[in-house]
Amino acid sequence: MSKFRGNTAIVGIGQTPYYKRGTSPDPEMKLALRAIVAACEDAGISPQDIDGFVSYGSERNDGQKLMAALGTRELKFGGLVWTHGGGIPGALGLAANAIIAGQADIVVVYRAMAELGGQRLRVAVWQNDTPSQYLVNGLDAPAQTCAIRSQRMLEHDGVPRSTMKALAQACYYHARNNPAAMGHNITLDDDTYDNARWISEPYRLFDCSRENDAGAAIIMVSAERAKDMRHKPAYLLSAPMGCYGEWGFGEFNQRPFGATSGFQSVARRLWAESGYEPDDVDVVQVYENMTGMAVAALIDHGFCTVENAGEVLTYKNLIAPNGRLPVNTSGGNIAEGFIHGMGLVPEAVRQIRGDSTNQVPGAALSLMTGGPGDSMVSSALLGSIETL
Amino acid sequence: MAYAFLESSITGRAGTDEEYWKGLADGELRLPRCAACKKWMWPAHHRCGACGSWELEWIKQEPVGTVYSWTRTWYAFDRVHERAADVPYVIVVAEVACGACLLGVLKGREDGLKIGAKVRGIIEPPSEKSKGYPSIRWALA
Repeated sequence: MSKFRGNTAIVGIGQTPYYKRGTSPDPEMKLALRAIVAACEDAGISPQDIDGFVSYGSERNDGQKLMAALGTRELKFGGLVWTHGGGIPGALGLAANAIIAGQADIVVVYRAMAELGGQRLRVAVWQNDTPSQYLVNGLDAPAQTCAIRSQRMLEHDGVPRSTMKALAQACYYHARNNPAAMGHNITLDDDTYDNARWISEPYRLFDCSRENDAGAAIIMVSAERAKDMRHKPAYLLSAPMGCYGEWGFGEFNQRPFGATSGFQSVARRLWAESGYEPDDVDVVQVYENMTGMAVAALIDHGFCTVENAGEVLTYKNLIAPNGRLPVNTSGGNIAEGFIHGMGLVPEAVRQIRGDSTNQVPGAALSLMTGGPGDSMVSSALLGSIETL
Repeated sequence: MAYAFLESSITGRAGTDEEYWKGLADGELRLPRCAACKKWMWPAHHRCGACGSWELEWIKQEPVGTVYSWTRTWYAFDRVHERAADVPYVIVVAEVACGACLLGVLKGREDGLKIGAKVRGIIEPPSEKSKGYPSIRWALA
């Protein structure tokens, strides 16, 4: 029996507005603080009570830098999960492990980004992980490395391009109902998608996530403590991180390659630990740095296969409330806003609470998958009390 | 000989491919395998995870292979801005005989570019575009 499953819950969520990149009125650290304080208010706790700080990737606003502004009484746990967006659900898992082990009681998981410092988000998130092999050969951005993966998925594995368009259009459809989304006023019809400028083939503009300034945070506590709190808890059923042996920093030498974003081992453990399977899931927040990578992540998790991806991943199936597999119900990284994927976590929680702007009726199992194609990845399955 | 690329050394990842660049600077494609168990290892690393040996040997390879995947980049990204005037350009991942997949910018015709197409590597001297490193470019055979 898992010691992890259902023993912690997310009880608070907080976000700043999304700003166009480089236009935040606040510096990055203040965005982090605003998100954390908002999450505390949502949870009904004092910011002084937070005793653990967890993030991922290149987050620079370490807990100890925030203490004075939060009035922290004692910092008991802090940690940064390796890799980039691939580490987000893993960060939830790290926070949960600290709570279950009794190392901390109230842990915040957060991410804030602002380009005021002048560095593009797409550069900042790389953390100088770009090897000479890339830069010498004209390869810099995630859009390019992901493009090479998705090209093989389309051309070699035969996953239809329609899946990428369906995913982008589902994100924009959901953004239409979310006033907080940067893409709220954009209608992504076929012409707009098909005729958008190329970024790096097979990706056109709307296949790529945005870059924004914003902060987002969630508060995690034990299941015991969660019972008495203000909101319906979103229990963490499983949040494995990892990859199999032939993944990691492969520089296009990982195997298999193409119609995978590296989640097979993580997905296998996720379903085993949670006791659920893909058909049980009500709604998915699938990290889409690029559409094709999200398509491969859904294949990895078993929502469809390489062979039937074109039939399953259709616009009709991917939209709330009635689709078979609603994804990215706030608009996601593509249409709501992008701060290294962290915005997907509060939306996964809202679906359990029942107050998403694109609510899936009665959603009880809510999945969030981390940055696809990362050298190590992670996934988190959240559930209502009925799923425990 | 003095290797010019060492003057503009790029750091990142394991930092174990200096011999690769030296090979290209010498006009050869050389790839690493474990000196003990002979397992090919690309990207290179500090230790053979299969047998535990700390020794790599760099073996000359014929610069021919097939297209494993590719992308045509239409945007001059931040840190490869030296290639802004070349946009759009094609980056190829080519699989060579020992199984390694190697990056290179496509040279010459694009007609016939597809996964599985045969390519031949052309070694070019250091340039501003390749950030002072020698590079291999793939041409459709």
